[in-house]
Amino acid sequence: MCYSRPRVRTLARALGALVILTVTGSHVPGLAAPGAAAADRGLTGTWNRYPQIDETPDPKLPVPPPVGPPPLKPEYVAAWEAQQKAAKEADARGQPLFTDYVQCLPDGMPAMMVAMFPMEVLQTPGQVTIVQEAYNQVRRIYLNEKQIPIEDAEPGYWGHSVGQWQGDTLLVDTVGIKEKVRFRGVPHSDQMRIHERIRLVTPDFIEDRITVEDPVYLTQPWHFAWAYKRLPHYKMLEYVCDSNREYKDPQTGGTRLRIDQHDSGAPPAAAPK
Amino acid sequence: MRTPVSGTSNSIRRVGFGLFALLGAGLALAHHSFAMYDNEHQVKVAGTVMGFDWNNPHVYIELASSDEHGETKSYTVECASPGILNRVGWKFNMIKPGDKITVIIAPLKTGESGGLLKQITLADGRVFSNGGPAGKPNIQ
Repeated sequence: MCYSRPRVRTLARALGALVILTVTGSHVPGLAAPGAAAADRGLTGTWNRYPQIDETPDPKLPVPPPVGPPPLKPEYVAAWEAQQKAAKEADARGQPLFTDYVQCLPDGMPAMMVAMFPMEVLQTPGQVTIVQEAYNQVRRIYLNEKQIPIEDAEPGYWGHSVGQWQGDTLLVDTVGIKEKVRFRGVPHSDQMRIHERIRLVTPDFIEDRITVEDPVYLTQPWHFAWAYKRLPHYKMLEYVCDSNREYKDPQTGGTRLRIDQHDSGAPPAAAPK
Repeated sequence: MRTPVSGTSNSIRRVGFGLFALLGAGLALAHHSFAMYDNEHQVKVAGTVMGFDWNNPHVYIELASSDEHGETKSYTVECASPGILNRVGWKFNMIKPGDKITVIIAPLKTGESGGLLKQITLADGRVFSNGGPAGKPNIQ
């Protein structure tokens, strides 16, 4: 079989273009990674918790109700209430409790979904990845996989999550959260399971309805929800907690701010250029 | 040799009125609550930047200010995180040691010379907030 010269040149150009596309991948404007389009159900992008503290809610976008108290079994209620009281008293003293979060440990699941800072959702074939800017937290949700047995789930901050789409809603199941990783100070066991219904209400608005189950500590499932609004064009920042000036007061155990005293009023030398 | 700090406009005004309803104890400032600070009795401090620490979990400004008797006092001013500040227009290099600035802060309840930033005015007159979670000033 032989090819005419023009056909060979055309073939060579096509192959060259293919090589360029393969090498540059998604850096080519307008081109996404293969399969990305099929994987994207509209969640990809950056999102801000809604409403923000200083944001007036949009009447068209429902604000989830505040998180209610956990339905703890009676034998655990007193300890939890005492802890809440201690937190309030510590605040009143001006020395908040010295929590793991104050010590720069990530808040893990489900607290990470509070989204104190913006979060990025990435959809790729077989996986949804959620990145929380605060503490560079990452959780991976594996799609269409069977959840591992709960006793096999290695304890961690974000656990082991599997998910599947049901219409416009991503159903997520998470197990394997370390017992020290607590949302609102609520104790939990290694039997805790977190269900989420992440739904794209509009192209720019997500709600995450969460149900926490724990047969050891809770009398019934604990329901709450958060909402997020798209943050267009936002580029996520890094967050490494490498300059923490909060410390534990040795007397009270509360949080104090380290004050760096200067022994002179003289301004330092000009900053290097 | 001591160089005088920005001296004349650095009086500290204590304004003890008004509850700032948005800021209650326990509201989170990214990684700890506001409870260390007295939001009701904010103060205004003018002085010279001695240090600018742009890092997580918080940005800090070390400020030297002279009181009405000419005594120099240092302040540690806690700001929000670089992320929050970026989102309200700050830049990592917009403040340098030696800059003359004015801040409104909620002072530490312990009486130590530090506080939570509410508003900053740079030498060039630009005014920045400390982001939504830290709240607004209740004095001018």
